[in-house]
Amino acid sequence: MADDKRVDELGKAVKEALDKGEADRVVGLKVDSDGSVRPYLWVKGDDVSALVISPKYPLSTVYRLVHEKHPDMKLGIVARGCDERALVELSKRGNIKLDEIVLIGIACNSDEAQECVCHVPYPTKISAGDKVEGVDTDELLEKIKGMSLEERGEFWSYYFGKCMKCYGCRNSCPLCTCKDCKLEQELFVTPGELPPEYPMFHLLRAFHTVGRCIGCGECEAACPMGIPLTKLYKLLRDDVKEMFGYEAGMDPEAEIPLLTDLTVNPIESGEGGA
Amino acid sequence: MNDENFEPRILVFCCNWCSYAGADLAGVSRLQMPSNFRIVRVMCSGRVEPEFVMRALRNGFDGVLILACHIGDCHYIAGNHRTAKRIPLLRKLLDHVGIDSKRVMLDYVSAAEGEKFKTVISGFIDDVRQIGPIRTGLKWGA
Repeated sequence: MADDKRVDELGKAVKEALDKGEADRVVGLKVDSDGSVRPYLWVKGDDVSALVISPKYPLSTVYRLVHEKHPDMKLGIVARGCDERALVELSKRGNIKLDEIVLIGIACNSDEAQECVCHVPYPTKISAGDKVEGVDTDELLEKIKGMSLEERGEFWSYYFGKCMKCYGCRNSCPLCTCKDCKLEQELFVTPGELPPEYPMFHLLRAFHTVGRCIGCGECEAACPMGIPLTKLYKLLRDDVKEMFGYEAGMDPEAEIPLLTDLTVNPIESGEGGA
Repeated sequence: MNDENFEPRILVFCCNWCSYAGADLAGVSRLQMPSNFRIVRVMCSGRVEPEFVMRALRNGFDGVLILACHIGDCHYIAGNHRTAKRIPLLRKLLDHVGIDSKRVMLDYVSAAEGEKFKTVISGFIDDVRQIGPIRTGLKWGA
């Protein structure tokens, strides 16, 4: 099976990084004897045959948390394209240092890319797997784009009305790193109200993804109510790209557009809001 | 939803250094304008978080107007630059979820532009009157 080959390659790369001393620990996934998968810190001498790559997991969050506790540790990470982009955005916000990361890249296969509707399903450095083309066609997104203002309102009220405020979208997000979250402030989101006051909760969160959302799809995967969050965030990502030419996670040098002034990221001025 | 007698409720965020003084000038000059707006004075338009705008709309304001200094005139050098980037994005977001983005508007009024303050306010109120009252609850917006 092609996938086994990819995992083997990855295992070798992880082993090599640990044996050569490039990394003290490597963040990856491990399957236990009972078949359950969990994030794991691989150390020298571990049996890498238990290394797995699925289900997809936001390992960049694990990396960030371990790095926070042990800033001096040489830490490696098994990263997909989205994990790497998340790391780039985290480094821009001072959570981690990009040049300290020992990145062991893995390219997603076409099925995975299709499932995530991922536009860049590979990291910049690939240690395992073969690069496949990104996916650009998204049926539901096209459908939403074709809707009228009223239809869009109906569509999102229906889905947001299903929300049970589990905060799963926020908790699973690799870029949600604020210690004080606005979604927990009474001023904006009333505690104990279900479904959360539409649209405060969702619009607030959506706006906070601007310039950081890398489109990994963890929020939607975590949502127990099946709210198509990635579609809304993708629309905003496209807006940011159109307005500021900024794509989150793609260029480590590019500055976060909402944090710069207009001399760095000029925008077209226009009627009513520009 | 166009009620004959509908008068929109408008919230205006004015920056302390330019637009608020502009509003003051409009008042001192006794310019006639609709009275159905309320001003919140902020030290800088950069203080206006998108959350504030969402909250105003949620609480039943039919439109929110953000008035800033002209680009280059900001008392804090680049506070209004942030606003100039945020508000258009917020308008796009509102548009994506089916809320008429004309309900939120950003404009620039200096301390000397009492006349412009009047024009902008009157124009905005007319626009929102056309759109109609905001819906609250789960069928929020539009």
